[in-house]
Amino acid sequence: MSIADTLWHFPSAMMAWRNLGRNRMRTALAALGIVIGVVAIASLGMAGVAIQQQATSNLGSLTNQVSVSAGQDSDYDGVTDDQVEEIRSLLTNAQAIPQKTNSTTVSSRGKEAYVSVTGVTDANALYDVTEGTAPERLQTGALISNSTAQQLGLELGDPVEYDGHLYRIAGLIDSSSGFGPGGGRGELVIPISGLADQQYYDSVTITADDGDAASNIANRLDEHFNSEGHEDEEILRVSSYANVQGQISSFMNTLQLALLGIGGISLIVASVAILNVMLMSTVERRGEIGVLRAVGIRRGEVLRMILTEAALLGTLGGLVGALAALAVGAMMFHVLVGDASAALQWSSARYLVYGFAFAVFASVLSGIYPAWKAANDSPVEALRG
Amino acid sequence: MSVIELHDVVKRYESGAQTVTALKGVDFHADRGEMVTIIGPSGSGKSTMLNMIGLLDTPTAGTVLLDDRDVTDFTEDELTEERRTNLGFVFQDFHLLPMLTAVENVELPSVWDTSVDRRDRAIDLLKRVGLGDRLDHTPDELSGGQQQRVAIARSLINGPDILLADEPTGNLDQDTGQTILEEVTRLKQEENIAVVAVTHDEQMLEYTDRTVRIVDGVIQQ
Ligand SMILES: Nc1ncnc2c1ncn2[C@@H]1O[C@H](COP(=O)(O)OP(=O)(O)OP(=O)(O)O)[C@@H](O)[C@H]1O
Ligand SMILES: [Mg+2]
Repeated sequence: MSIADTLWHFPSAMMAWRNLGRNRMRTALAALGIVIGVVAIASLGMAGVAIQQQATSNLGSLTNQVSVSAGQDSDYDGVTDDQVEEIRSLLTNAQAIPQKTNSTTVSSRGKEAYVSVTGVTDANALYDVTEGTAPERLQTGALISNSTAQQLGLELGDPVEYDGHLYRIAGLIDSSSGFGPGGGRGELVIPISGLADQQYYDSVTITADDGDAASNIANRLDEHFNSEGHEDEEILRVSSYANVQGQISSFMNTLQLALLGIGGISLIVASVAILNVMLMSTVERRGEIGVLRAVGIRRGEVLRMILTEAALLGTLGGLVGALAALAVGAMMFHVLVGDASAALQWSSARYLVYGFAFAVFASVLSGIYPAWKAANDSPVEALRG
Repeated sequence: MSVIELHDVVKRYESGAQTVTALKGVDFHADRGEMVTIIGPSGSGKSTMLNMIGLLDTPTAGTVLLDDRDVTDFTEDELTEERRTNLGFVFQDFHLLPMLTAVENVELPSVWDTSVDRRDRAIDLLKRVGLGDRLDHTPDELSGGQQQRVAIARSLINGPDILLADEPTGNLDQDTGQTILEEVTRLKQEENIAVVAVTHDEQMLEYTDRTVRIVDGVIQQ
């Protein structure tokens, strides 16, 4: 039994398929309209996701962090132990990690690198270690940024010197993440005792659950230290990236809506094209449909046949369009995020599903009127032509 | 016993201000195993009358009986059902679907029904009209006479009681027309069906059992 014979068990599908095959050029052009619509809607949607991911990955993990340092009206040139305690007493679900920072030149095997030095105890809460381990409490070892380690030919277990003390490298960290302290410069993280000659902390990093929590904490701290009783003083400088993130994501939402709108319009144009094609082909086949009705094919069956035709057209165009959009999306993710396969994540791949579903839906919708018109035509009138 | 009867059938067409009365009280009947030919000048109402007999259109007044059942007030869906099961149509222009093969065209009227042996019956019918070797040819690969024979096979697929033909030889040459008419006559006897045909073709009268003449919407005795 051939495919055609098997298909014949689904007469509507069979007839629809054969009808589409009759005028391949017209079918292809109608499907092309749908393809363009789907590519527009899906790749614009995915572009939005890619841009958003790029933006958030540039901000790194900083969006849920609040950074506190001494303000211009502070009596101290740093954050004091008392202030750290005070900050901690104001936090419920977040961790406050005081740091002391400095910079120095690290040398090894005749090579030198200028790095920023951070003294911190809870290192594992602040840094992502790519190799080795960040101990719960940093007391003897050191962490060093990958790039610096490479530059100096240092490996795990090698010693580095700072201020007359030697520290063994316990882990390597990613130095390029975000605009963190040190920026693009290399970084050396040592126990806080190594910077004991600095009396105060340079900064306190507070890590909250998410961006919203971080901006709440920032507001609370700002209010507590800077406006209570004394007007407009800046005892502590409180900064968070959460509001930056908020602005970016609201901009992204607008952008995404605009992109989807453009895609939607192109699909509407495509469905008008399908409406036109279906209407033309049913008018052309008026006599044939009259014959079908004369030999006893029911109105519902004629209706189903033409709707199936429209649905097939939409499915065909939708599939090709989704594939093309996937290619476009993979390219955008490759360029913007550096990972083409990220296009397959549900957050972006869902636009392929939306585009496809919209294509089938719009095609069937455009098929309803021509199908209804053809099915309800009087057979005598149709046969007279 | 008559398988189809028209009683005092009137058909009026109203188009704008103009009213055309195509049938002015027509009586007609056809029996099984009988071939009735309707003749008359152009515009006299032959096709209109055939549409009434074929349940393709409903009369303005009068009664249509199919197998003694009054089908005059049937809905479009009920009429469709009657056409499917009891009537077969052959047209002047063959009206085969170009994207289907001969055997698929023959199956077409039954294809939405889940009957098991329709493929076998379609092949059998095509063999009986001498097209056993053309089963998988599409209409554009067949001559006019062959196409009309496919159409005849199609009209018989559901085992009708009546075969309706509007100028079935109109687009065929003399010889081909003759073989078609011989085919129809043979099948009429084999299947014991009534054949009602409209024609301008003189040679058709040689095959007919009875001739009905209509002039200006009125049957001439
Ligand atoms: N749908 C219609 N609307 C208006 N007038 C119609 C319609 N159908 C047929 N008529 C008229 O009814 C009359 C009979 O038409 P019909 O087609 O039955 O003639 P006919 O005998 O088959 O002619 P021919 O031999 O040319 O095919 C003609 O005057 C025709 O103009
Ligand atoms: Mg006529």
